[in-house]
Amino acid sequence: MAMNPMEQFEIHRIGPAVHLFGYDVSFTNQSLFMCIVVGAVTLFFAMAVSRTKLVPGRMQSMAEISYEFVANMIRSTAGDDGLAFFPFVFSIFFFVLFSNFLGLIPFAFTVTSQIIVTFALTALVMLTVVLVGFAKHGIGFLKLFVPKAPLLLLILLVPIEIISFLTRLVSLSVRLFANMLAGHTMLAVFAGFVVALGAAGWLAPVAIGPMLMIVFIGALEMLVAFLQAYVFAVLTCIYLNEALHLHGEHH
Amino acid sequence: MPPEPDDLKRLGERIDEAKRQRREQTASPPTPFGIALRFGTEMIAALAVGGGLGWGIDWALGHWAGVQSRPWGMVVFVVLGAAAGIRNVMRAATEINASQASKEK
Repeated sequence: MAMNPMEQFEIHRIGPAVHLFGYDVSFTNQSLFMCIVVGAVTLFFAMAVSRTKLVPGRMQSMAEISYEFVANMIRSTAGDDGLAFFPFVFSIFFFVLFSNFLGLIPFAFTVTSQIIVTFALTALVMLTVVLVGFAKHGIGFLKLFVPKAPLLLLILLVPIEIISFLTRLVSLSVRLFANMLAGHTMLAVFAGFVVALGAAGWLAPVAIGPMLMIVFIGALEMLVAFLQAYVFAVLTCIYLNEALHLHGEHH
Repeated sequence: MPPEPDDLKRLGERIDEAKRQRREQTASPPTPFGIALRFGTEMIAALAVGGGLGWGIDWALGHWAGVQSRPWGMVVFVVLGAAAGIRNVMRAATEINASQASKEK
C-alpha cells in the first residue's frame, strides 16, 4: 500500500515514448482513462438506445432521463435557442460526470484531477462562447465588456470586465480540478491512516475510525462527483446564454 | 357518449403538474460549503488573472518596447483583479439569491 496520497495522480507512460515537435505525446495512463471514459459513455448510450421501445426499459429510461435533465438545464439557463448547443453541453456534462465517477473506482485514474484536462475543457467552452458571440452579434459582442456607466468610469470598468471574463478560464477549471484533487487526496490520506494504525499492534482497533471516515467521505465524493459535473455544465450554459443574448435578457 | 376529451384534459393537467414539480426538484440547492468554495475560487481566480496579466504586460513592455514598467503594471492589474473578483463574487451572490428566492416562491 502506497503511503504517498499524491501518488495516485502521477502520470505514467504506457508503451513507447513518442515525441512530436519537441513535445512528449506518449500514450499515458491519463490517455488510457480518457479513452475508457469516452468508451463507457458511448457504450452506455449505445446500449440504452439499441432496442428502443415506446414504453422504455431500465436502460432506455436512464438515457431519456439524462436527455430531459440536460435539456431542462439548458432551457432554464440559456433559453430555447440555447438548445442548439445541446450536443456540446451534453458531451461535456457526460465526459466530466463519467470521469468523476470512474475515478471513484479503486485503482482507477481520475482524469478530471489533472488541471490541464479541466483547463482544456474550460478553454473549449470559452472559445465556443467567444466564437458564438462574435458570430451572433458581430463586433457588438464587445458590448459585453461595456457596462452602463459614465465615460470616465469606463476607463476603469472595461479592464475590470475583461479581467472578470478571463477569470472564468481559471475559476471554472480550478473549481472542478480542486474538488476532485482534494476529495481523492482525502480518501488516500484516510486509507493511509487505516494501514498505519492496522500495523501498529495494540492500536489496531482504532483503525475502525478512519475506516468509517472513508465510508462517509466516499459517499460525499459521490455527491461531489455529480455536483461538479452539474456545476460545470450549468456554468457552460450560463456563459453561452451571455454570448447568445448579451446582458439584460434573462431566462 | 365518449368521455375521453374531459379525461384527456385532466390527464394533461396532471402531467403538467408533475413536470413542474420535477423541474423544481432538479434545480439543485447549493450547499453552504459549495457557496463558500465558489466565492473563494472567484476571488482568487480574479486576483491570479489580474496579477498574471499585469506581470505579462510588464514583461512584454520590457522585452519588446524596452520600457521598464516593472512593477507598476502588476501593481495596477492586481488592484483591477481584486475589483473584478469582488464584482464576480457579487454577481455569484445575486445569482444564488435569485435561485433561492425563486425556489421559496
